[in-house]
Amino acid sequence: MQRDDRRYSCDARMRRRDAIQIGILSLWGLTSIDSLRAARATEGRRARAKGCILLWLDGGPSHLETFDLKPDAPAEVRGPFAPIATKVPGIQISELLANTAQVIDKVTIIRSMTSPLGEHGLANRYLLTGYEPSPLIQYPSYGSVVARFGNGTDLLPRYIAVPEAGWGGAGFLGTVAEPFAVKGDPAREGFRVPDLDFYPEVDSARLLRRQALMQRIDRGVGTAEEAEAQGDPLFQQVLRMVTSPVAKQAFDMDQEPVSIRARYGSRTFGQSCLLARRLVERGVPFVTVHSTGWDTHSDLVLQLKEGYTGAKPGVGLIPTLDQGFSALVSDLADRGLLDETLVIAMGEFGRTPKINAQGGRDHWPRVFSVVLAGGGIRGGQVIGASDRTGESPADQPVTPADLAFSLYTLLGIDPHQELITPEGRPVPLNQGGQMIQGLI
Amino acid sequence: MISIHFASLLAVAAAALSADQISFDAQIVPLLTRMGCNAGACHGAAAGRGEFRLSLLGADPAADHMAIARQFQGRRVNRTQPGESLLLRKPTARLEHGGGQLFEYDDPEAQLLRQWIASGARRGPPVRLSSLVVIPQETLLKEPPWEIGIRVLAVLDGASPIDVTGRVTFVPTDPAAVEVVVPQELSEDSRYRIRARRRGQHVVLVRYLDQVVPAEVSVPLNDGPLNDAVVETQTPAPRHFVDQQIQRKLDMLRIPRSPAADESTWLRRVSLDLTGRLPEPQRVSAFLHSADPRKREHFVDQLLHSEAFIDYWTWTFARWLRLRSFPHERQPLATYAAWLREEIAADTGVDEIVRQLLTTDGDSHVTGPANFSRMVPEARSHAEMVGELFAGIRLGCANCHPHPLDRWTQDDYHGFAAIFARLARGRQVGLAARGEVTNPRTNEPAIPRIPGRQALDPHGDHRQEVVAWLLDPSDSHLARAMANRLWQGMFGRGLVEPVDDLRLTNPPTHPELLAELARDFALHGYRIRHTLRGLALSETYATSADVLPGNREDDRFYSHATPRRLEAALLVDAISDVTGICESFPEHGVERAIHVVDAALPAVVLDALGRCARIDGCADSASRSFGVASQLQLMNGEVINRKLQDPAGRLSQMIARGDSVREIVREWILVALSREATAEELNDWEAILRVADAQQQRERLEDFAWSLLNSRAFTAR
Repeated sequence: MQRDDRRYSCDARMRRRDAIQIGILSLWGLTSIDSLRAARATEGRRARAKGCILLWLDGGPSHLETFDLKPDAPAEVRGPFAPIATKVPGIQISELLANTAQVIDKVTIIRSMTSPLGEHGLANRYLLTGYEPSPLIQYPSYGSVVARFGNGTDLLPRYIAVPEAGWGGAGFLGTVAEPFAVKGDPAREGFRVPDLDFYPEVDSARLLRRQALMQRIDRGVGTAEEAEAQGDPLFQQVLRMVTSPVAKQAFDMDQEPVSIRARYGSRTFGQSCLLARRLVERGVPFVTVHSTGWDTHSDLVLQLKEGYTGAKPGVGLIPTLDQGFSALVSDLADRGLLDETLVIAMGEFGRTPKINAQGGRDHWPRVFSVVLAGGGIRGGQVIGASDRTGESPADQPVTPADLAFSLYTLLGIDPHQELITPEGRPVPLNQGGQMIQGLI
Repeated sequence: MISIHFASLLAVAAAALSADQISFDAQIVPLLTRMGCNAGACHGAAAGRGEFRLSLLGADPAADHMAIARQFQGRRVNRTQPGESLLLRKPTARLEHGGGQLFEYDDPEAQLLRQWIASGARRGPPVRLSSLVVIPQETLLKEPPWEIGIRVLAVLDGASPIDVTGRVTFVPTDPAAVEVVVPQELSEDSRYRIRARRRGQHVVLVRYLDQVVPAEVSVPLNDGPLNDAVVETQTPAPRHFVDQQIQRKLDMLRIPRSPAADESTWLRRVSLDLTGRLPEPQRVSAFLHSADPRKREHFVDQLLHSEAFIDYWTWTFARWLRLRSFPHERQPLATYAAWLREEIAADTGVDEIVRQLLTTDGDSHVTGPANFSRMVPEARSHAEMVGELFAGIRLGCANCHPHPLDRWTQDDYHGFAAIFARLARGRQVGLAARGEVTNPRTNEPAIPRIPGRQALDPHGDHRQEVVAWLLDPSDSHLARAMANRLWQGMFGRGLVEPVDDLRLTNPPTHPELLAELARDFALHGYRIRHTLRGLALSETYATSADVLPGNREDDRFYSHATPRRLEAALLVDAISDVTGICESFPEHGVERAIHVVDAALPAVVLDALGRCARIDGCADSASRSFGVASQLQLMNGEVINRKLQDPAGRLSQMIARGDSVREIVREWILVALSREATAEELNDWEAILRVADAQQQRERLEDFAWSLLNSRAFTAR
């Protein structure tokens, strides 16, 4: 019996994936982005999705008020809203999601998402990385992984957060993979990304001159090309972004026709979705839209439907989500981008089936809903189910690890690959997850 | 016929005898470790996998035997048909196995398991590992193929040493750099070999039962003897022990040393590293032109006794100690920071500082050191911070299971936390009547203990004992941890990285050097000025950052300096000093960033430039979060641009005064880079920058100033 030389490690699985492992580390353990990308050739099928838009519904949106209504449950569970039919017979969602109902043929609803973590910080990290948080390892979030391993534009940061990233940080992948937060409010007049515009009187020509002078100081002598080859990569990237009209235009909401802007809704969330579309259109592979306020421990009607007391029509969280999400999906479809853009809308958990004394619901991670569209997924379907009262998964439980696995696979990133932390600890990109059955 | 039967009986008896000798603890469990069965990703996970749970890395052989031989109605082992045991069918992939196929049916691993099962699948007597030795423990491989035979010997229960090479688990710390090669055929002569795959210093950990020991292999970075021309010719032999140790290793690894840095570079570097500030411009020229052979010593001494030194090291300790204010309660921070500053100013030994931090109770508004306990919310994080900061030990893993890479157990972790369990952490800091942590392993209150030592009386106050443990004269944890941090402060990288993770399995790049440094630090009263002075005046510290072809890849042996980006606070203050316009930090009531010691309050400019305000004290040297937003701020934002245009600033004032381009460039280079520009340089700059139109002239000078402040020469130290 012939045995090959084998390398020992305490993780037997590593033996079979040595080839990938070797590619990850360069000389002296310093990772260079290029060597990482070289190692990261897509396996098998080429991914359809080139970009991902994550609509993060921070606080834990109630599944019972959005995508998994239980009209036959007892009154204390049912909630104040009724379900409506959608474009797909047999699928019903909240009456407050009427626009989404019309694009449901492009959407997959997962109703059996399940997690053990009911605290915001822990649950956020779990849902944003696919890993239950650990005090020892800061796992990178999806956006950071995509920024590091995916493809995309050189002119804009690869992971952009509108307006901020919340818990979606780079973890041990480091600064290079941190999100770029645009801050501000795309819905506001005069929305600008801080410091993206030139300082008064310091225009493109002067910036380029400054770059040349800078390199002269650092190099002493040398032609522009030679100096540039040795320049600081971050500086180069930012200079490209700042001197490129494309990059600046990406953030200029005024470039969108008024009709399009109106389609998304005039509030922050809708305009943020529109900005996200503009960014992926220009090659940004991952954009997060951070929507807050979903932690509705009280007064469901006011927060989720009305927005303010007596508002008609309601401008609460769900109608706003409805308009923005449906506009995004149909706008992407109209432009032929839906197939290559994965859209995910989710929060960190669901909410208690029994309505509490303040007319709200509390944290409930045991079962909740996640919706996906585009990126090669099969639309017009429901995956999994919760039980009669929306308490537990009744069919096909899906964990955040499964979601992570599926997300990476759709984006063409191998979930099995092993990353190495700066301390030299091997960490699989995904652990314990598998492709969600029926998703594609 | 009879003889044949007899022979076969003998053979069976012999087989049975040798099978009887298979030790579960000493052979089967290590096999499971070697194959990865009991790793944290597999059956060693807290919940096991596929309803089969093993102790992590074989820490609990009794439980493992139960799981294998008794649980699941004993279906995992089949004593009548051993080959049909689940324990074999799964890893040989005859049944679907989440862990894949680990070996073939006729591999030695399978044979061992079969024999053990056939002989009754017994636990046998427990085994204690007295010592574990790797031969060779350290080796220098000069010739390709850079490999050497390796043997591992173990002493079990005090018996004679036995060869356990085939049983241990080898864990290369960097699998791309070094590997262990299994012999093709196992015979008397065949040996396991360590093979380095690239040059440098590499460590392979060897794990057997409950011990882990490192084996180090080094391959010189260059072949053949060093060319004399590239060896620096300054002094014949290094005098300071730092330089001796550094040179010894450079010689062993055949890494040429870069020449010494020029005077300006040294001057700027040492000022920033000791005081966080650029050298005062008026001192620069005097220094550069002085012929005093001891001018560096004088300069360093002057830095060590400056206000700026006190500012900088107060700021540094404040970050390590995670100083922050509480909402609506600012007095404690002010008191704490003031106390810290006094101690730094007085050159109090760090041992005394730590003693006060660990044992002082009282009113936190009035008693500075009492605030240490308030910076962590409860006992476990208190214990972790004490471990990381003062001993360089990360106990965290051991919260849930024995630390896989070090020797800390759950009892150590929770016992250590128990020492701090009774602390009340409100305004009044002190021990309350009651307080405990539950040890999840026993579900009982954890018994207080110093990690690695005997249990302590549950009712006493053991904080003095923690101090004594940290300051153990034979091997002071505090001295090692602190000496390593001071080294990191001066060289950009600790002799152990990360600096809060010192352990046997994370060895220093220069073990003897660290030991000597620690000894010397302790011997001189744990005074930081003493050690910093020695480092600042060493030749190693004075080496240039210019690389040579032979040392380009060296990032840890100090053959050349490695520039690192200035932290946000230092950069902002440097920009203020050069441009002549102060920043302001209204929330903190100060004008210099170095005085911003409260991590809880925002400081917009610093945060934009990547201030590390992490709760865990910013230990690792790579935690600069200077990203796209920071670069945008420097490029288009106010921090630099506004100051260049400000009429009260240095540039505007010089222009208004009518200074020539030459004079302006000369002064800016002096102030920013601590360098005197040569005439030729000034000619070149003049040619580039001088224009007729006054407005354009102004712009060009602004561009020049901006470029200077964004150059690597300026933003690094």
